[in-house]
Amino acid sequence: MDIIRYRKDVWGEEVILGVSWDLLWVIAVTAFLLLAAHAIFMAALAKKKAMPSAEGKRVHRHDAIDRAFHWIMAGSVLVLIFTGIAPIIGIRVSWLNIHWIAGLVLSFVCIFHTIRALFWQDFKSMLLGPADFKEPFDESIKPGKYSFEQKGMHWAMTVLVVAVIATGITLLLHIDTPWWDRPSVDDEGTLGIWFLLHGTATLGLIAFTAIHIYFALRPEKRFYTRSMVKGWISEDELKENHDTNKWKQD
Amino acid sequence: MTYMHIGKDFTPPDVEAKVTGAARYAEDFKKDGMVFARLLTSPIPAGRVVSIDASAALAMPGVLGIFTADDLPEAKPPANPALAKEWVTYIGQPILAVAAESDFLAEEALSKIVVEYQRRPFVVDPLDTLVEGGPDPYPMGNTLIRNSGEAAAGTTASGTDVGRIKWSIDQVTAFRNGREPMGAEFGSEWEYGDLAAQFAACSTVIEEPFVTIGQPHHSLESRTGMAYWENGKCYFHGSLQSHTVGHNALAGMLEMDPANLVFINENTGGGFGSKIFPYPVMAVTGRFARALNRPVQLRITRDEEFYIGSARSGMQGWIKIGLKENGRVGAVDVAIINDAGSGGGGSGSSSAEHISIMFQPEAMRFRGLSLYTNTTPRGAQRGPGQNEMAAVLAPMMDKAANLAGLDRVAFRRTNAPRMDGKIGERQGGISSSYMPEAIDKAAEMFNWQQKIAQPKQISATKVRGIGVGQGFHTAGANGYDGLIRIAPDGTIYLHTGVGNLGTYSYAAVVRAAAEALQCNWDNCVVVHGNSDLNLPHSTYQGGSNTIFTETRSSHVAALDIIEKMKEIAMAEFGGSTADYSIGEERVFLTSDSSKGMSYGEAAQKAIEMGGKYSGMEYPENINATTQRSVQAMAGTGLIGVAKDLLPRSGAVPGMAIAFVEIELDKETGKFEILDYSAVAECGTVVHPQGLSQAMNGGGVWGFGMAQSERHVYDPQNGLPANVGLYQSKPPTYLDVPLNMNTVGMDMPDPQSPVGARGIGEPAQGCAVAALMSAFSDALDGHLFNRTPVTADMIVNHVAQNGFNTGNLKTNTF
Amino acid sequence: MSSHDVMPEMSLYQPVRVEDAIGIANQFADRGWLVGGGQDTYGWLKDRAKSADALIDLKGIESMRGVKETADGIEIGALVTLTEITKDPIIAQRYPLLAQAAGRVASPQIRNVGTIAGNVSQDVRCWYYRRGLNCYRAGGNLCYADTPEGMNREHAIFNASRCVAVTPSDTGPALVALEAQMVINNASGQRVVAAEEFFVGPNLDIQNTTVLRPGDILTAVRIPSKWANAQFYFEKVADRNAWDFALVSLSAVMRVNNGVIEDSRIVVGAVQATPRRLTEVEQAVRGKARNDSTADSIGDLASRTANPLNYNHFKMPLMDNLVKRALRGQA
Ligand SMILES: Cc1cc2nc3c(=O)[nH]c(=O)nc-3n(C[C@H](O)[C@H](O)[C@H](O)COP(=O)(O)OP(=O)(O)OC[C@H]3O[C@@H](n4cnc5c(N)ncnc54)[C@H](O)[C@@H]3O)c2cc1C
Ligand code: HEM
Ligand code: SF4
Repeated sequence: MDIIRYRKDVWGEEVILGVSWDLLWVIAVTAFLLLAAHAIFMAALAKKKAMPSAEGKRVHRHDAIDRAFHWIMAGSVLVLIFTGIAPIIGIRVSWLNIHWIAGLVLSFVCIFHTIRALFWQDFKSMLLGPADFKEPFDESIKPGKYSFEQKGMHWAMTVLVVAVIATGITLLLHIDTPWWDRPSVDDEGTLGIWFLLHGTATLGLIAFTAIHIYFALRPEKRFYTRSMVKGWISEDELKENHDTNKWKQD
Repeated sequence: MTYMHIGKDFTPPDVEAKVTGAARYAEDFKKDGMVFARLLTSPIPAGRVVSIDASAALAMPGVLGIFTADDLPEAKPPANPALAKEWVTYIGQPILAVAAESDFLAEEALSKIVVEYQRRPFVVDPLDTLVEGGPDPYPMGNTLIRNSGEAAAGTTASGTDVGRIKWSIDQVTAFRNGREPMGAEFGSEWEYGDLAAQFAACSTVIEEPFVTIGQPHHSLESRTGMAYWENGKCYFHGSLQSHTVGHNALAGMLEMDPANLVFINENTGGGFGSKIFPYPVMAVTGRFARALNRPVQLRITRDEEFYIGSARSGMQGWIKIGLKENGRVGAVDVAIINDAGSGGGGSGSSSAEHISIMFQPEAMRFRGLSLYTNTTPRGAQRGPGQNEMAAVLAPMMDKAANLAGLDRVAFRRTNAPRMDGKIGERQGGISSSYMPEAIDKAAEMFNWQQKIAQPKQISATKVRGIGVGQGFHTAGANGYDGLIRIAPDGTIYLHTGVGNLGTYSYAAVVRAAAEALQCNWDNCVVVHGNSDLNLPHSTYQGGSNTIFTETRSSHVAALDIIEKMKEIAMAEFGGSTADYSIGEERVFLTSDSSKGMSYGEAAQKAIEMGGKYSGMEYPENINATTQRSVQAMAGTGLIGVAKDLLPRSGAVPGMAIAFVEIELDKETGKFEILDYSAVAECGTVVHPQGLSQAMNGGGVWGFGMAQSERHVYDPQNGLPANVGLYQSKPPTYLDVPLNMNTVGMDMPDPQSPVGARGIGEPAQGCAVAALMSAFSDALDGHLFNRTPVTADMIVNHVAQNGFNTGNLKTNTF
Repeated sequence: MSSHDVMPEMSLYQPVRVEDAIGIANQFADRGWLVGGGQDTYGWLKDRAKSADALIDLKGIESMRGVKETADGIEIGALVTLTEITKDPIIAQRYPLLAQAAGRVASPQIRNVGTIAGNVSQDVRCWYYRRGLNCYRAGGNLCYADTPEGMNREHAIFNASRCVAVTPSDTGPALVALEAQMVINNASGQRVVAAEEFFVGPNLDIQNTTVLRPGDILTAVRIPSKWANAQFYFEKVADRNAWDFALVSLSAVMRVNNGVIEDSRIVVGAVQATPRRLTEVEQAVRGKARNDSTADSIGDLASRTANPLNYNHFKMPLMDNLVKRALRGQA
């Protein structure tokens, strides 16, 4: 199995073509096995503890605009993943235009999200500090607005999304769009590296998206998913999972 | 004059084998123990070879060795190296050869050889290297300069270096836009007459840019060769247009005594100028065979033939033409940049020569520059220079004539060379010219007056175009040797060192000897194609010169043998040679024809008499090649041998004029040739079928040059697009008219004993010119200023969508 | 770089039954190569621009030969050669469009061996790709033809998606116009695909020109009687009148009643990766007379949305002109 695919460039020299898509299967299988293991493990460990009730007072967690951002990002990432890998796994769809348009949507939403988070939101609530690392190992420590896992997932996604965006836009500059024509490629090796990075980030994103979706669907976390739809969590849920001292309602 | 053989059709001896497929070409020869060599070529347009690792290939069982530039004398740029190392200058350039027990193995071995290259900047369009700051095709520059150096042993080019000429952006821009590049530097220049004064005296002046693209030779028989060494002799089966004239050069390439070289080349599947003389890769074949001590066949594939098989040089130019009130061309000023590819050169001066002879301008200036590019090497191709110029000039001359209100044909006739015609820089004379008469004859054949009176519009979408064009090439040399042997059985062996490139001229020329000998053609044997068969030193087969040059040498050899027969008869029957005549293959006393002997008897006597009669002695002035042949035949019959010292002065013009009528479909850019009529002004017609073949073949090629043949390079990567024959687009049977009306003027040239001049090249020039003129006529005088004019260009022009193929770009369409 | 004159080593299979051919094709999957006349195949393999482990020569399969009449039209065996198509009396009589298109392919020698299946399944002719460069279509990540300097005179003006190569097939557009059905067999049985869906563009699949997948064999081409004896127009413009690919070709079928075009299908070749149907033109001329004024009224409807490259603008007027000629019914 290869990790990187190579090809001969116009001069007959070997250059990088991109990531090896064999890894797609590796990622898919590994992610599946890990999550299945986790599910089994969790099921076995299940303390049959009652889940906090969703009834009662509602605590605002996400503004409508942020929820919209999230779902647009989610939608575009899913579209991007699907359109990106469809040709690789042999599904015939006219993918490219949908892909880069979704890519641009994702890029814009990410930019807005970043600006909003920096200037209008409690940016610090998502910062991951050394203290956060104690959290998973000490049951007594409860997080503020975002748990350690959530912050971890967020930052991993951030890195990967920034990577696909940066590399994706570079690739976009190399194809015909309504605004520009394809340029000549002077150095095919460099282009290959962009493809490699885009592909590698894709693999990472697929893995983390799978994990993200898995947790979003897990019973004990599902209320977060609801909060991303409806905007609130219940006071019970809040108390059970968060330290209200650390999470200052805005 | 009534001739026995001259002007009569005959069946050349090789026709049957050609038709049945029995004819053998270099690649058909196999030899016991023969190994197969194949080339590894450059994937990059410019750079150098850093290292070669052939260990994996050499480790394969059955792989016998490799041969690299290190095994050859160093060829200094711009000499075209057989194998490149320091100066890799085009994609497809040979780097090394590998030999193996089978062709398949050789190919496998190639894939195991790793060559490391260092890349350099490259350029595929001459104007891109010409502009200051533009990349150079060689690290040392972009053009050829002369020095006084000698060629290295085993290499050909001498006295040349690569230098650099650059123009300012303004000069290049002006040139691209069809203006004179003021103050620009050129590589060569000539001028006659008072240009400024003549232009001042002109009432019509036009100024035009032009571009013609290259065309690969794509010889159908690729330049595969096979060589082996036996008892110190090298036997070489090769593919050349010429034969003996290349012998010494080939021996030189192999650094051997020419006496030990046996060059065998009975048939040649096309050369078109690319195989006139031995070409670099032959050195690899011969030397590799010597190194391995095995017979080696170095096979050249179809795409390799594209890369190393040469191509016509493209031109980018500017011209200013002035016409006087009286219809004479007063002055012409022309500047030409030639694309010399990675080696070889352009023929700008020959292009200018075309103008100078066809229109006899009273003053003229030529400035030329031949620039290298990282594209395939260029070389002579049928009418190099002249024919490209004929193509772009015809519509421009039409424009000038139309502006001046002159009939296009009358205008050409007014300016056509007469007996006192002058040519080129030195305004030297010509051997003869019946061009005005030829124009009249062709116009009459074509019905010019009636044709131009026809309506232009044929149907809603089809228009008529009527064109006229001229072709020219100097078509004669002299000073070669003739050699004849008559055997005691009376068989007349007509030896010729002329190559058999498919024109049958090798057989046609020796008929001048048969004519002089007044002998039956059935008793003649044409001896050619193998230097072991004792061939004389004959002219090169290029420049349309063979007919003129070699009828002369055949003639002088015949005169020599006749004189010797008379002397032999005189020894028997007394008197003086003047008292003797020949006839019916006998030499006899004019006064008493019973006193004489047959040619065979004379040959028998010659053997007995020895000395010069049987070739024991021979004139000192004959070439060493001829001397060796005479020595080898000495004592086997009566030998006639002589060097052509017949009087000769001025240029020998081969000329042709053609008319074409087309029906052009303005919606598709496609056209049909309704009529093609051409007259060859080539002196006496020696072989009518040969002439019509030359005129038809040239015509077909001219049509191809006008409409489709191409040399295309991607400028971004230096990649050629027309490596395949089909991609180069020679015309097909369905692209040319079924009938082409061609005849010869049949007026004798005084400098040929049989009155003949050559015609090969002008046959193409007149056709391409006439067709270009017809395109322009069909489109109301629109000038494309380029060849070829393809359907897309016509469609773009008609649609007026503002697109054409780019101003003055070569290597493209 | 090396150039090749001998074929690489491959195994050769010569099945005589479709099932066997399918079996072998499945066994070798994408390392097997079906061969009809070999006129497209051999160049690829000889030049080492593509490779295969096994050649599966279909020529021995009798059931894939011949032209048969069916209840609804005709069925042309996949192995029928282009020359046979030009000479077949039924095709000549009912579908001369196809005979004309087949008759303009390549050269007589190639038509004598080239099959209809090979003609519609042939790969694109982009010279960069044929050179063996690893462009998109060869599985790479860039196109050499679509660059500011690319020599792309022969390339696409419509529907390019990174690859700008065009369909080289002369019979393809004719088959689309005739609403032909492509009969495809594989291990799971038979499927029939409309010619229009048979060809795929680079937006859907950048490495294949048709829906065929390893293990699929095109066994026949059916032509329904719908367009039998209709009015036809075929024209191919190439640099040369033989031995050359189309710059633009046009195949049209028209149902004309009392001089009025009731229905038509107009399909253009060599302007995009698949035969291009001009549905807008078809709609615009429905119910109009087949004459000069209808032809003129179309203007540049056909080419209006084209997206030309550096050197192929001419395809726009050329295509418009061919449409006009088809509508006029004469050159
Ligand atoms: C110089 C030249 C000029 C040409 N000019 C033209 C032209 O003007 N117009 C034009 O249309 N074409 C042209 N061609 C292209 C083409 O080669 C021929 O048209 C011919 O029809 C191809 O048929 P074939 O049977 O020889 O193909 P093959 O080479 O046998 O097959 C071609 C492809 O089809 C596949 N295939 C063949 N049969 C089947 C089947 N039954 N089921 C599934 N897949 C199959 C093969 O695997 C291969 O990929 C030209 C080719 C050359 C070399
Ligand atoms: C979740 C995010 C994304 C995923 C999973 C993804 C995935 C992929 C994949 C798998 C490919 C095929 C690469 C290959 O063949 O090697 C691809 C190509 C491409 N992507 Fe993305 N991508 C994403 C985001 C983006 C973004 C944000 C853009 C740009 C705005 C973008 C633009 C492109 C382009 C232009 C190509 C085609 C490049 C070409 O073939 O020339 N992608 N993407
Ligand atoms: S047009 Fe298509 S086939 Fe040609 S180089 Fe581009 S991607 Fe390759």
